[in-house]
Amino acid sequence: MDQQQPPPPTPNAPPPSSAVDPPPQPQPQPQIQQQTTPTPPSSTSSTAIPNPNPNPIPKPLPSAIPPPKQPPQPKPALPSHQPRSAAAFSRPWQQHSAQFTHFSSSSPSASSSPSPSLSSQPRGSIALGVPSSHSGPSPPSPSPPQSTPFTGSFGHSFGGTSSSNVSQARPMMRGIGMGSSVGSSSQMRPGGISAQHQQRPLQSSLRPTSSPTSQSPSTQNFQGHGLMRVSAVGSSSSTPSTLQTPQSPNQPWLSSGAQGKPPLPPPWHRPQLRAHIPQQHHSLQTVSQQQHVSSPQVPPQNISSIQQQEHFEQQFSQSRASQSLPHQQQDSRSQGSANQKPSSLAMVQPSTVQVTQNKAAITESDDSGGRILSKRSIHDIVNQIDPSEKLDPEVEDILVDIAEDFVDSITTFGCSLAKHRKSDTLEAKDILLHLERNWNLTLPGFSGDEIKTYKKPITNEVHKERLAVIKKSILAREAANAKHIIGQTAVNTKGNVGKAAANIWVLQMLKYEKYHEALFFF
Amino acid sequence: MSNPSTGASSKSKVSSSQPSETSFKRKRGVFQKDLQHMMYGFGDDPNPLPETVALVEDIVVEYVTDMAHKAQDIGSKRGKLSVEDFLYLIRKDLPKLNRCTELLSMQEELKQARKAFEVDEEKLGTLE
Repeated sequence: MDQQQPPPPTPNAPPPSSAVDPPPQPQPQPQIQQQTTPTPPSSTSSTAIPNPNPNPIPKPLPSAIPPPKQPPQPKPALPSHQPRSAAAFSRPWQQHSAQFTHFSSSSPSASSSPSPSLSSQPRGSIALGVPSSHSGPSPPSPSPPQSTPFTGSFGHSFGGTSSSNVSQARPMMRGIGMGSSVGSSSQMRPGGISAQHQQRPLQSSLRPTSSPTSQSPSTQNFQGHGLMRVSAVGSSSSTPSTLQTPQSPNQPWLSSGAQGKPPLPPPWHRPQLRAHIPQQHHSLQTVSQQQHVSSPQVPPQNISSIQQQEHFEQQFSQSRASQSLPHQQQDSRSQGSANQKPSSLAMVQPSTVQVTQNKAAITESDDSGGRILSKRSIHDIVNQIDPSEKLDPEVEDILVDIAEDFVDSITTFGCSLAKHRKSDTLEAKDILLHLERNWNLTLPGFSGDEIKTYKKPITNEVHKERLAVIKKSILAREAANAKHIIGQTAVNTKGNVGKAAANIWVLQMLKYEKYHEALFFF
Repeated sequence: MSNPSTGASSKSKVSSSQPSETSFKRKRGVFQKDLQHMMYGFGDDPNPLPETVALVEDIVVEYVTDMAHKAQDIGSKRGKLSVEDFLYLIRKDLPKLNRCTELLSMQEELKQARKAFEVDEEKLGTLE
């Protein structure tokens, strides 16, 4: 991603004068562009800055000095990778031209004509993304002053985007997500936003923080502001904090960010790379991704929305299964589930690095000590059933309690089974066995390569003998009935055929009957 | 394709015979190619994810194994496993049951047709 960003900005060195016109245009476009991917960026690239904004996002945001003549270098980079984010970014840049120096002409002009639709929220999100993701073509001048105003501008710009994600103090690479969320924040739910962002998790991963979900702009702005500032400062400090070096800022930031949540990039990478997953499925992916990045509220929501669809225990077993099963799906699920169940995970001895990483991420994000689920996940589940459904708070509390009790009981029994197996590691098969035997729940996809052996029904000898006796008595009764009938028919035939013939015929019938009896037993 | 019940019984027999050799071997991707086409038929992408196909295959194998075990439990009381045991197990699922009976009747019809065909061949042979 970073590599791609620098090259595209370079070709876009259109005259900044044109930025004036484009800024107004991109504003409405971003909203539309968020949903339409590459087309808006290409169109905006020619016009201006809005497109490039997403690219520069990774780099630290420029200072308040508005570079009027910053080439729209980042523009081309953005469209290729983050068409949505570009759209979203374009708006905020326009508003905060001062902040984004390298967003060049568009930004200054944009500030003059900020899109009224854009609230403070988009600004915040964009600001986050830009500084981290900027790839480098930006001029060196804005870098030093940019860093300082950047932090200052974070407070404003982060508005809604930072939101809960930022609160986690893990400005993970959700820059792109922020951009897209910015545009769509007002329109879409945080989960949906995250879903969109998830599409380019790899690319956006480099973006600092840029929390995609922007729910309450005002409050979140403040929280995000403080958090983003910390994260941005940290990331920027690690990086040259200048828009110059395209990759170095990203890499150091990424490494610093990665330290906080190592499992985030690798696990997301695979699911995100599956390009043909439609946007609808992005929410699923974003869930797994957001688990790590976003605040505890967001990940549990997404995770629960997906996983709770199936079963509660899946989350748990996934975390277990992830240890033994290599399936990517399971890994992503386990990550999500792992995030939700830090306490239970602590009991498990992780065999995979991802699990340990997930644990670290979970413990970091777990604010309420001991709480596995949050009400947000209950809300998500209910929304899946009926978007207009509302639950009383007491009902939600009860549901959370039930879920936690369920997880506790499953874990306890699973551990006792593992102990019975003379092993000190809780594995997927322990959980699966318990669920299958006691809850009659089957979870496909976790049983590994073991074949279910058929156990013949255990029958007692006494029972077998009794059954044999019953059969014999039935046969005897039938034989008696048959003989009676045969006798009657023989009597009838005697008159016609003759005694000898009748006798022979009766004997034959008896033999036939015995033959039948013998067959009956088999 | 063979009837679902007979096919299931044959598959279940195969799966049940495997444990006698080793309890750890289970071939992966037995239905991969067929399942991909079936998933496409039901609305999935023409090239579904391999993980999705693996999951669906797990579901299928688990279902068939479970069905075979239950049928064996029933059949052992009678003595031998038969098609009737499988039909008894899906008695509550009307679409499946009807489809099974339809396929079984088709199989009978085909048998009859093949028999008639062979008889005709013999007649022609004798005539010639």
